[in-house]
Amino acid sequence: MMTSNETRSTVDRATHTITFERSFPASREQVFDAWTKPEHVTQWWDPTGTPLVECTIDLRPGGAFKFVNDSGHAPPFEGAYRVVERPAKLVFDALGAVGTVLIESTGAKTRLTVTIRCASADHLEQFVKLGVDAGTNQTLDNLVVYLQKTSN
Amino acid sequence: MYAADRLDLVFAALADPTRRAILARLAHGEATVAELAEPFGFRQPTISKHLKVLEDAGFVTHSRDGQRRPRRLVDGALKDVDAWLAPFRKQWEARLDNLGAHLERMNRKPKRSR
Repeated sequence: MMTSNETRSTVDRATHTITFERSFPASREQVFDAWTKPEHVTQWWDPTGTPLVECTIDLRPGGAFKFVNDSGHAPPFEGAYRVVERPAKLVFDALGAVGTVLIESTGAKTRLTVTIRCASADHLEQFVKLGVDAGTNQTLDNLVVYLQKTSN
Repeated sequence: MYAADRLDLVFAALADPTRRAILARLAHGEATVAELAEPFGFRQPTISKHLKVLEDAGFVTHSRDGQRRPRRLVDGALKDVDAWLAPFRKQWEARLDNLGAHLERMNRKPKRSR
């Protein structure tokens, strides 16, 4: 578990899953619309804050989406929706990974949980596999966790 | 952030079970080459070779304690193994920061008719 600013992130290497969680003082509908309407997505998707140059969304199961930033070299973020349940849930396939967006009410705030489950050959593993024999990844993880506990 | 060749060194160092065991031993406190060699039944030059790999990868260093030169873990070195994930994490943190700012703007603006 790692905390930076207001975003909590966790990594589960056994399932190649990365999770980000954050609460916003906004309604569930607002958060869902911010994820699913091009005029909103364009404004926040790029990490640098630069508006997207292209954003198309066909919001229905099986519908495609494509987010293109202005960097010119990064591949577009594109895929298709699997589940569209305003304002609670959005599931999509993108770049070989499955993204799940859960939007829950926690009293005055709305909690957003983004889960990215990578395919086995995805980036989550490719770095870890550098120079590491098959089957040692779990051992390595266990070791690191163990050493962190004992050396703190 | 790690360069790719640095990652190669790190994971190559950690791929060997003896070296992982050495790190686990050093996590409990510093130890000399002789102290490290004993439980493994290795000769000291063999242990020294493994220690060299661990030192090159930035995991292990040695204290200047006369002839003993005990080896110890470099502070925080193992935590950095997670560093390959940092750019991705940072990207999403920035993205969700942007989303938070955007939601604030949505809230400030009077709603348009739907």
